[in-house]
Parts: sequence; C-alpha cells; structure tokens
Amino acid sequence: MDKKMFFGEYGGQFVPETLIPALDELEYWYNKLKKDDKFKAELDTLLRSYAGRPTPVYKAENLSKECGCEIYLKREDLMHTGAHKVNNTLGQALVTKYMGKNRVIAETGAGQHGVATATAAALFGMECTVFMGEVDARRQEPNVKRMQLLGAEVVRVQDGQRTLKDATNAALREWVASVENTHYIIGSIVGPYPFPEMVAYFQSVIGIEANEQCKELGFDPDCVVACVGGGSNAIGIFQGFLDNPNVEIFGVEAGGVSDKDGEHARTIGMGKPGILHGAFSYLVQTPQFQVADVHSISAGLDYPGIGPAHAALNDSGRVTYGYVRDDEALNAFKMLTRKEGIIPALESSHALAYVIENKDRFKGRKVLVNLSGRGDKDMAAILERGLV
Amino acid sequence: MRGFYIVGGYPDREQFKKCLNAVASAGFEFVEVGIPFSEPVADGPVIASAIHEAVMNGVDIEAIMADVREMKQKYPSIKATVMTYANIIHGYGEKKFSDDFGDILSGVIIPDLPSRMHYWMMEKGLSIPVIPFVTPVSRNEDIEAVKDTKAPFVYYISIMGVTGSDKKGAQNDRSETAKKLTGKPVVTGFGIRTKEDADRALNTTGGFVIGTEVVKRQKDFDSFCKYIQQFR
Repeated sequence: MDKKMFFGEYGGQFVPETLIPALDELEYWYNKLKKDDKFKAELDTLLRSYAGRPTPVYKAENLSKECGCEIYLKREDLMHTGAHKVNNTLGQALVTKYMGKNRVIAETGAGQHGVATATAAALFGMECTVFMGEVDARRQEPNVKRMQLLGAEVVRVQDGQRTLKDATNAALREWVASVENTHYIIGSIVGPYPFPEMVAYFQSVIGIEANEQCKELGFDPDCVVACVGGGSNAIGIFQGFLDNPNVEIFGVEAGGVSDKDGEHARTIGMGKPGILHGAFSYLVQTPQFQVADVHSISAGLDYPGIGPAHAALNDSGRVTYGYVRDDEALNAFKMLTRKEGIIPALESSHALAYVIENKDRFKGRKVLVNLSGRGDKDMAAILERGLV
Repeated sequence: MRGFYIVGGYPDREQFKKCLNAVASAGFEFVEVGIPFSEPVADGPVIASAIHEAVMNGVDIEAIMADVREMKQKYPSIKATVMTYANIIHGYGEKKFSDDFGDILSGVIIPDLPSRMHYWMMEKGLSIPVIPFVTPVSRNEDIEAVKDTKAPFVYYISIMGVTGSDKKGAQNDRSETAKKLTGKPVVTGFGIRTKEDADRALNTTGGFVIGTEVVKRQKDFDSFCKYIQQFR
C-alpha cells in the first residue's frame, strides 16, 4: 500500500486512469516547490501584499460576555475576496505557473472558491473556467457576476442535484479532456492525492499564524472550533494546534433542518466510509450505495463528502465532530452581526453557533473560532428568511 | 473481441433483459453491464443521463445481477463483465461481490479505479479480475505494471475525454504498445460509433466496445437490435 496517499486508511487516488500522469506531475511539482525558497517567498509576498495576510486574532468581548467564555476570532473574513479560499488558489495558481500550464478550472458551491480562483487567474493572466451547479448559481448570482467580471467563464451545471458535488463531477470531466494544458484548482481538502495534502499545506498558514498570535497575546487556546464542509478552513486552523494535546479541537458539520434523509449534510455524523471525487472518506449515501442528497442553508457546506484528513482525525479521536442546524447557524449569524458588527459567512456561522449552543462545554475557557469568511455573499439567503 | 455496454435496469428491468439477451444471442464475445452510480464522472451526457434516470428509479444490484445470471445460463459462451464505480463495489463489499458474482463475471471495469489502486480492492477481497485501462497518456511503465493481469482483455480509452465524446482518437495511440507489452487483446472503447471505427479497432488491436450509441437506443428495442446487428 502506498502510504503517502493516505491519512490513516482514508484518501487514495480513485480517478480515471487518464488523470494519473497529471497527478504524478502535480505531486512532483508540489513536493519540489514546497521546499523551494523562491516559490515560498513569492507566495508569501502575494499573501501579504496582495491578499491581506496576516489576518488578526480578535477577542470578541461582547459575544464572550453572552456566552460565558472567551471567544477569539481568527479573521479570515478579512482576506481578499472574502474568505480563506484565496490562500489555496494563490498557491495552486503559482504551482500552475511553475508547471507551465496556462489554464485553470475549478468547481464552486457558494462561489467563494470560484471567485478566488478567477481572481488568481486574472492576476496570473491565465484562462479560467468555473463549474457551478445551477441551483447554487441561482442562490449566489452576485458571485457568478463577479467571476465573469474577473474574466472567467462560468459553466452552470444542470446534472444531478445541481449543487457542489455535480459541479465537481463536471470539473473532473473537463479535466480529463483538457489535462495536458489545464490545472484543476480543487477548492477543498478533497479529491485524489496529492490534492488533500497540498490544499491542507496552503491553508496551514491560518493555524500557524493563529498559534503565534495567541502566544503573542500570552495564551494557548483551550479549544479551537471550525466549520467543516470539505474541510479546508478547518484543517487550516487545526494544523496550528494538533500537536498540542492540551488544545481540544472541534469540527462542526451542517445539520441542516433535521436528520431525515436529504435534510442535512452531516457527513461524519450520518455517513459511512465510501468513495467520491477521488478519495476514500466518509460519505452520505443511500442503502444502495448511491451518493445521497444533502442539504444545508450554507452552499459551502452543502456537500455529501469530507476531506480524508478529517475522517482520520475523527477515527483517531483527536478532533470531535459535532453539528448545528440551519436555524442555530442563522441565530449565530445574527448575534455576531449585532454584538460585534461583523457579518459572518453562513458557513462560519456554524462554528460560532456550536459555541453558542454548547455554552456549558466552553464555559470559562478560551475558545478560538475560525471565522473563515464574510457574509456579503449570503445577503439574498438572509433577506429571504426575513432577518431584516 | 466485440462487446457492447448497456445500463443495468434501464429504462426498466424488462427492456434491459431484452437488450442484454439480444447482445448475447447475436453471438458477440462480451457484454459490459453497467450498475448505475449517481456520480458518473467518466461518462458523457448520453450515458450520464441514462444513469441518472436509472438512479432516480432506484438501482437494484441483486436484480441486475440475477438478470445477468439468467442470460449467462442461456448463453454460457459470452463473457459478462460489470462496469461500475468504486463506491458501488466497496459498499456492496469487495468479497461479497466476488462470492456472489465471481462465477458469472469474467471481469469488472471500474472507471474510477486506476491500475495502481487495484490492490486496494483486492486486499479487501475482490477476486474478480479488474480490467486495466490504457489511455493515450499512459507511459510504458504504466502499461508494464499491468502485464500480469488476469483480466481477459485490456481496455484502451482512445480519447482524452468522457464516453461518447466526438473528439478524434488521440494522435498518440498507445493501443499497439498495450497489446505488445501485455500480450492480451486490447479492446478499444470511448468514441467508437460506426462499423468502420469498430472494424479498425478489431483489425488492429483485437476488439472494441460500444457504449453511448447503444445506450442511446436502449429505450427502442427495434432500433437497438438494428444497430448492433451491423457489427455481426
């Protein structure tokens, strides 16, 4: 067994044979570039001067008082394009440049990864095509327009449930057909090896920074909390703290409306191990092994799979995976907005909601929450629910 | 080797059985039966939409395989293979799938299981030979790695794309090399439509499989039969 491709027993390369040489090429370049000082310096400069790193750690005093604990927010919502996604797209676009390819493709759910990819492509002068499910494109129309403004072609995917998983299928199909000049910038720590490892590497900046910033403030957090769809913002912040056994770590899945079939996206909570989009990991599936329909109020968490690293962290017990429902996430969204003047993404609201809903567990403790994105993109969903 | 791909249980059980038996009774060497999976990432629009329709109607693996067994009893000389995605076989259980269906299947074709991952399912008890793929971008070492395959043939994907693409066959044809290095018949799939395409594949590397053009006709039995007859 080729251990490098796996996190515990999860991961692998479950893709068409046609993609194998491209994955080998990517592995070669990724391993080379992550040790290359020139590459690292170039990426570091971009992250600082272009994308807005480092992002601050902010103590949310008002929210802390409400919850009876000390809540610190890692402000990825302040990043260029509005979320942590750009950490990864700048990294992968730079890898694309070094590989000598001139076109990138991407899948997107909420549109954040699509916008972050289109942004990087504009910066590097690359051709860009983004696949987005028709349902998502409709609920995130402003992001479709942003991508188009940035020069990307947006393909509205009409298959299946017409959401993130279908957009990913379409992107994989396109990659098979164009692999010789095209790099596929996967947006989360999913997909075949080396993607889960590479995306985790590009997102590790969140946790490394947060760890240093907490130390500067004179403490280690007792708990770290992040929302998990595919799991890239979570793995990003977790990596700063996994080695410290005193830090309790929580991943929060989208509980949707209920535990009924099709009404949640609790991949670890309700799924079982299976194979989707190139990797063996937990998967929400039917008794006949079809990928099940999932639901979340947040398009970025509306995904039946999860990164293989999270599957392994769950099985080892290092990270606790819980969930909150749509209405709890909305409540957290409202609370942060009103108490702190910060409008969070609905995805990140799930992480906050977990702290708010489990006050006893976090009472008196220092809790670091990854505020992975801002909520501008969610205005339509919020207005629909009459919150204003 | 001449073969056809049909979607199991599609558009309904009766019609699928008729199509399956039509391929077998016409004397072709093999049939590839698809067990539909909701995420057909290697398939183009025609097959993907048939699969989605089948999934919406409910996929019954046991029923599909019972129909294959019945067909095999009537036509023992045809080789039956199953084409399905990795999650279906893993979910069913690699060992259970082999125990239940190993006696009627000559091989399984798993489009999201590249050669280097075959071991993963074999370690979990898959004992039916996995038919290896060769593609226009396969390197010699990729092809050599499957030279000891127990599969009855090697599957050559002739284009860089999904099933039914109208791309021309790739410039860099690796099918001859595959035949030379593995010593197995090489069946060319993806993008074979006409008698001429099929004859070329048959004469050069020893086989073809047609999917999209057949699935397109799976709802219309007369047109299905008429189409496959021309390849006899």
